[in-house]
Formats: sequence, structure tokens, C-alpha cells
Amino acid sequence: MSKVSYLKLDAEPKRDNGAAARYKKAAFKGTRIILLTFFLAGALLPLYWVIVTSLKGGREIYTFPIRYWPQFLTFENYSYLFKISNFQVYFRNSVLVSFFASTGALLISMLSGYALSRFRAKRIRMAFLLAMYFTQIIPAYMIMTPLYTFLARLGLSDNLLSLTVIYTGMMIAFSSIMGSGFFALIPVSMEEAAQIDGCNRIQALFQIIIPLVLPGLAAIFSFSFVNIWNELFLAVMLMSSDQNMTVPVALNSFISKAGVSWGVLSAGIVVSLLPTLVVFAVAQKYIVIGLTEGAVKE
Amino acid sequence: MRRNYNGFLFMLMIPAFLLLAVLIFFPVVKGMVIAFQNYNLNNPLSMVHFNGLDNFKAILFDTNFNFWQIIINTLIWIYVSLFFQFTLGLILALLLREPFRGRGIYSGLVFYPWALSGFAIGLIWSWMFNGQFGIVNDLLQRAHLIHLNVGFLSDPKLAMISVIIVNIWYGVPFFAIMLLAGLQSIPKELFEAAEIDGAGSVKRLFFIILPYIKTTIVSTVLLRTIWIMNFPEIIYAMTSGGPNNATNILSTQMINKLVKFYDYGQGSAVGVIIMVILFAFAFIYLKVSGAKEEGAA
Amino acid sequence: MKRWLLVFLLIVALTGLPVFAETKTLNFLEVMTSPERTVLIKGMIGDYEASHPGVKINLISPPYEQADQKATLMLNSNQPLDIIEVRDNTIKQFVNNNKLANLGKDYRSWKEAKTLTPVAMMAAKTVNNTLYIVPQCIFVKALFVRKDILEKNGITTVPGTIADLVKTCEKITDSAKNQYGFAWRGKSSEMKFADFFASAGITDIKKDTLLYSDTKNYFTDPRYVAGMKIYIELFQKSAPKDAINWGFNEQINGFVSGITPFLMQDPDAIPLIDKMLDPNKYIVIPMPVGPTGSAYLDYGFTGLGIPSYSKNQKQAWDFISWMNSAEKNGYFCEHYGTLPVQSTAFSANKYFQGKHYTAFLTEMTNSKKYFFRPFPQSSTKWPGWDAIHTADLQSVLLGQAKLETVLTKWKEYWSK
Repeated sequence: MSKVSYLKLDAEPKRDNGAAARYKKAAFKGTRIILLTFFLAGALLPLYWVIVTSLKGGREIYTFPIRYWPQFLTFENYSYLFKISNFQVYFRNSVLVSFFASTGALLISMLSGYALSRFRAKRIRMAFLLAMYFTQIIPAYMIMTPLYTFLARLGLSDNLLSLTVIYTGMMIAFSSIMGSGFFALIPVSMEEAAQIDGCNRIQALFQIIIPLVLPGLAAIFSFSFVNIWNELFLAVMLMSSDQNMTVPVALNSFISKAGVSWGVLSAGIVVSLLPTLVVFAVAQKYIVIGLTEGAVKE
Repeated sequence: MRRNYNGFLFMLMIPAFLLLAVLIFFPVVKGMVIAFQNYNLNNPLSMVHFNGLDNFKAILFDTNFNFWQIIINTLIWIYVSLFFQFTLGLILALLLREPFRGRGIYSGLVFYPWALSGFAIGLIWSWMFNGQFGIVNDLLQRAHLIHLNVGFLSDPKLAMISVIIVNIWYGVPFFAIMLLAGLQSIPKELFEAAEIDGAGSVKRLFFIILPYIKTTIVSTVLLRTIWIMNFPEIIYAMTSGGPNNATNILSTQMINKLVKFYDYGQGSAVGVIIMVILFAFAFIYLKVSGAKEEGAA
Repeated sequence: MKRWLLVFLLIVALTGLPVFAETKTLNFLEVMTSPERTVLIKGMIGDYEASHPGVKINLISPPYEQADQKATLMLNSNQPLDIIEVRDNTIKQFVNNNKLANLGKDYRSWKEAKTLTPVAMMAAKTVNNTLYIVPQCIFVKALFVRKDILEKNGITTVPGTIADLVKTCEKITDSAKNQYGFAWRGKSSEMKFADFFASAGITDIKKDTLLYSDTKNYFTDPRYVAGMKIYIELFQKSAPKDAINWGFNEQINGFVSGITPFLMQDPDAIPLIDKMLDPNKYIVIPMPVGPTGSAYLDYGFTGLGIPSYSKNQKQAWDFISWMNSAEKNGYFCEHYGTLPVQSTAFSANKYFQGKHYTAFLTEMTNSKKYFFRPFPQSSTKWPGWDAIHTADLQSVLLGQAKLETVLTKWKEYWSK
């Protein structure tokens, strides 16, 4: 970590000393702080509203004029979530499914993404790439009925394992496409050198190349995880029993004919954000490590 | 040696394509067939037969839902969202590149919109954007920026802008993270060289940074184009395509046909239209960007 | 040792071998799901299982918004289901595909079939005049009134006619004070509200069985046009402009916050509103009537049916008839908030005589004033009509189309 070198965007050329440069630097810093604050505020306003709503009792949700802090702070929505609804079960299901599916997709696409980046023949690369993109252009509704019928016939619907496999499949194309972009940044000479040193191709890939693209892989993993964490449609259609429900399904079930249970839904949203915040924060650490100094020298 | 190497690469592709074949390619063929059938749940399924392009004609000449208006809406929805998502995402990525205290927490907090389900985003924002008791109106009034409530979702001109704002809010983190990851791969030497040349920050951005992470940009932009097109959740929750189809896009129209009309044939036809447009786009896009890449190398 | 046990359990789980062969498991799919309702049904299932050893009922509760789709998917691929909740807007397509068993025979041997309310019987025979379901809940609209807000504005009487309602709404509306009159609805199923206002002036529908149909409609009838104009006037003069994009949530929000003190809603809104508002602040009164002193009300329903391919039809019927007995149906509706299907439940259960429910009872029993007319749910024009209606009416409200043009278009759509 200590070796990490950060590229300074606003670093001024050394010869340009003096008051003007210092002024410019301060202006840069100021703009930066303003921008960072702007992004944070924009992101947080809805979250604040969700949190406040989750702390309100039923009587306060629709009051007018709007209250930006509950008059009577209550945690009843949270206790409802865990006592009456089986939220801990859904939470566990979602963590397991998201973790294993995004890990599976990452492992598979380490291979395919790497291969995609190394095909010399443009036609072959293009064909594979298009096939990957093709999986992304399909609206989920199009494959729902056939997929369901297929799984139901095999008796594999309402099964968390098959959901995990489906999610893995769903995330492969994304992971491969993004992965190949990161792999492409690593010069072929790197693995050729490793092979001269006595590594075979697979070893070269896992021991030399993959450590170099770790930031990219971390980013890919975090996105797969989050995408799966949020997937509602397939989970609703494929899962039936209560003990197989995932978090988005549980959240969606707080919407009924008689409207939205805002309090509980908000509490659920707040709780469901926690693991993804952790994933983002951890992934971010890896992402900014960057390539270690001098690693890529041709 | 060369053929051997290619064989090795093909082998690496096998696991991925095996899964994709079973879970996506096989079901989608079956799904596409429906687009050419009179598959409508209002009629007995035993009467389902092929009807050529009838479903497509019905969609194209629908008197209730003007197809060309839907196409225009779709294009606006995609490109305005994409432009701002990318630009803001890039700015955020550049801002996050330099360390500062609490950067981990900061990024967790600023990235969380991406971690919400589409329906939840739509629901929360439709409440916030409500023209009568939404907090956006309330805050603007308290700040004396407006005197009368603004119908963010009820005014046909504002409705599209509002749903796009929400989509931008949701999509910025994607670009920020992906571009940030790409930025980290830029070798330091490249920068030092530029600094010695005395290139300014803008120049550096356009001539060094962006070209270097081009592959990341190309793939993220294409992926997002596709995903935004296939992302009806926000609009569906906020306006259901209204008022008077002002925010109706292809993917919401598809849901309309499936869920409200029970017309799976026409719904799938819309799906096929989406796929054809996106495939053609992806093909041309990749060709153009690939050709440039070759030229540069 | 432990590992072998695990393998054994896995095999049992995978092959789905019934460990206790004498237990029969019925799969029951509900679609009007809400967390409270699921708890309620589970409790009732518990009671049933306790008194019926050997029967287990497995409740499947997909979220409300996706439930109909899931039901369609499961039925069309013949998934193991024995009891299925069927709604007014899905019954036709289920029957079309022969997915529902004809319950006519079971009805004949069921004592409590005779005590079903007339509306419930109409609901049961929605498609082909055949009994495919036993209705469980009935949804009928009544007028919810915020008395406290009206008093604040110096109004002490409640409107009995549509004209009264419009007048009162306009009187209290003052956009500067953020006070409006009517919780107008411009999206998702808004046509139920439009149809109520527009049809109230037409006396001829009394003879018809449907509000409109492929063979007969009143869209260009001057009385219908006048009714629509009143409804539009209500929007323009006493509803927030934003109401063009209002659905159920916004209506409730408007009512609870007091911004729109008049609301037309189903009885299941009562438990919801009670959670957010002091029940003493509002009353529920019968729907206002049109210029002729009467009004047409639509009704929604859900009921229980048996998939035609179910292997446990007998057991399923036993459960369905148990669920819809006067006692259980009354208990269910009391907690869920809908109107019971058993006429005896109204008198036996004190809850339905409570002040918020009398309005519905009045509507159901005053057959000179209120006429229940279903929508043409069997027509092929019906699915999607809601979406067309919404877009067209929105275009009128936005000034993008003329009311007359739209009404002519509707007439053509339904006559073609």
C-alpha cells in the first residue's frame, strides 16, 4: 500500500512557482471541495428522506407541512422488519446468492475476459464480443417464460442454488466485457516474460496478470454483487417459498393494493443498503491501489 | 504456436459460453418465436399460431400509442441520461483519484444510489418529486426559489426531465467506479512526461487520460446504453409512461403490452424491436471504435 | 455419521419424497398480497390444519405487483397448485386457457352457497355464467370525508349528490392555502373514477348487465359527455394539477394530509387510513348520486379457485368452502378490510356495523339508488383498456386533445 503512487491531476509543473501558481492551486482545491460536497449532497438527500421516514410512526408519514425530523422518533419499523417479517432470512439468502454468484461470474470471466483481450484476429474477437453484448440487449421479460418453464420441468424452480447459477450466468457477460478491457491494458510482453521464466500459460495468467488487474476485478465484483443484490424480477418469478425470498422481493412485498408501507419499506431499504456500502468501501480500497509502481514497464 | 495459442484462448471461453447458452441463448430463441405468433392470453393458448409480422405491424401502427413518439422518447431517455451520467461520473472519478481522509466512507456514501433496486428508486423519487407533497417542491419553496408547486411528474415537458434526473442520479456511480478503476491503470510515466511538456489539465484529460482508458470508456458507454434502454423500472414507478405517453419508452411499452394487454405476441415484438435496435447499434459502435483502435495501435 | 445424515436429507429434499406419506400438502397461491394479509391467512391456515389432521397447506405469497404475472406463469406451466386466488382482471384469461375447474357441482352441495350476497354471486359467475371461483372479498367504493377539514372551512353538511360534491369541493379550494377538494386520480385504473361520474346521469344502464360492452356503450351520449365534463371540471377547479399523475398512494397522501378532504375508495383503505390518521377525523358515507337520484357502482373482487389440473381438488374444495363460510369469511374480511361475501357475516359480525362500514352496507342494500354494474371483463377489448383510457384522458386534461374526439375514439374502439 505504501508504494502506491497517486497521479496528481492538479499538480502544477515545477518551474511554475510563485503567487499565481499558489492561487491557482487554492482555487483548484476549493473547486474540488465544492464538487465533492455537491456529489455527496445530491446522493444523500434521498437517503436522508428514507432514513427519516423509517424513523416515523404511521401517523407522521403523510403529515403536512412536511416534517424533516420525526416528532416522535420510533424504531417500530425496524422491529417490525425483524420480528414480524423474516428479514434476517431474506438478508442471509441475498448475501449468499449475491456473493457466490458474483464470485462465480468473476472466476469464469477471468478466463473469458482474458481470452477476449488476447485474440489477435479481429473477427474472432468481434464475434465473441458481440455474443457477449447480445446477452445484455435481451429484455428480462423475453426470457422469463422459457426460462421458468425449463427450470420448472426440471423441478429446479424455487431453489436458491439455481437462482445463484442463473445470476452467475447473468453477470458473466458484463464481467467478461469489463474484464477484457482491463486485461487489454496489460501488455502481452508481461506473460511472455513469465513464460520464459518457466510459468505455463495458466500460471502466467493467475500469478502475473490477475494481480495486475485487481483494481478492475474489484470494481467488477462490486458491480456484480450490487446488481444481483437488487435483482427483483427473476427472484419473484422463480422463488415461491418464504424461506427462499431475497431482499428485493421482501422490499417489494411492502407494496400492496392498499398502497406502500412507507415506514417499513424505508427501514428495509436502509438495512438493505448496509452490505452494499461495505462492498463499495472495500472495493474502492482495491480500486485505488492502482498498478504498483513500475509493474508495467515495457 | 499461434494456432495453439488460439486454441488455449478458445478453451478459456468454454465455461462462460456454456452457461450463457443454457441460461440465455436457448431461452431467448423461444422468447423471440412468440413475437411471430398471435400469443395472447385473451384467446385460448391452443389457438396460438404463427401470424408473420402482424404483431410488428400492430406495434408500428398502434393508434393509441404512437410508435414514433415512443422511439423519440426512448432516444431522449437514453442519450440525455447517458451524457450526464458519463460526464458527472468522470468528474467524480477524477475527484476520487487523489486520496483524502475518509475517502472509503465518502465513496460508499456517494455510490449507494447504484445499490438500490430500480422499483425502490422510482418509488422514493416519485414521492419526492410529487407536485403537491413532495419534499423537492417543499424545499424549493422554503428556499424561495419557487412560489407555486411545480408538477414535476404531471407536466408532460417536466416529466421526462424528472425521470431522467433520477436516472442520472442512479447511474453516476457506475461510471465513477469503472472509470476510477481504469484511471488507476495509467502508468505514472505517462503523466510525468506530460508534465514536463507543460500540458495543462484539460489537455492532459483529453490527450492522455481519456485515450488511455478508451477501452473502458467504449465498453461502459455501450453497456450503459443497452442497460438504460432496458431499464423501465424508474419510469414505470414514477409516471407509468404518462402523462399522455410523454415518458413512454420501448421497454415500458413492452411491459404495458405484457402486463396490461396480456398480449405476449405484441410484447415480445416490442422486445425484438429493442433487440434489433440495440444489436445494430452495438455492431456499428464496436466496428467504429474497433477500427479507430486498430489505427491507433 | 453427520455427513451421511446430511446426504440422506439432501436426497430426501432433492427427490421430494414425502417423509410422512399420509400428509397431503396443498399449495395455495395468494395474489392480493400484503404482509398483514399473509400473516392473517397463515393464522387461518393454522386453524384449518389443526382441525384437519393430515392436511398441510403451503401458502405462496408473491409480492402484490408481480403476483398476477406469477400466477399466470405457474398456471400455464402446470405447476403444482391446488388453490389459487383469482381476481376480476385475471379470471377471464385463466378460464380461456382451461386453467380453472368448474365448481358448479361443489356449489350445489354447499350449504352456504345460498347465503352469498347478490354481488358475490355476480362475481362468481363473471365468465360464461359459470361458477369458477368462490368470491372471498368484494371491493366497492364509498366516499371518505375529512370532517375536520370541512368544519375548518365552515362546512357542516356532507354531499349526497355529485352536484353537491362538486360545489363543496370548489368552495373550499384555495390553492394559495394549499387547500383543494377532491383526491382526483389520473393514473392506474383512473377509469373507474371517470366511469362513475360519467355514467351517473344515464338511466338506461339499469336494464343492461354491464356498464358498457362490445355491443352497447354510451360514450357519445350527451348525458355521458355531461358527466365527463363534470369530472374534468372537478379536476380543473378543485384538484391539484399534479393529480393527473396520481395513483392510489397519492390519493391517500392527499386525504391523510388534508389537502384533498374528499376521497373515493374501497373499504380496505380503512385499516390503512386508521394507521395514519385519527379515525375520529373522518367519516365514510355512501357514494353521491347523479342527477337522476341514482348511481352505478362497479365492484372488484377476488376469489378462490382450483386449478383444473390439481390432483387434490376435493381437499382444495374443502378448504375453500371452509375459508368462505360465514364465520371465517367475516373474520377474514374484518381484519383485511374488504366486504364479506356472506350476507350473514354482515349481521353476525359487529365490525361491519361500525360507523365506517355502514356506508358500504347502505350501498349494497339500497337497490333503488345504487346499481352494481361490472366492467366488461369478458370482452377482448377489456385488457389494456385502462392504459388507453388513461393516456386519452390525460391528453384531454393537458389540452392536447378534445374531449369529444376522445369519446368518439372510445366509441369506435368498443364498437369495432
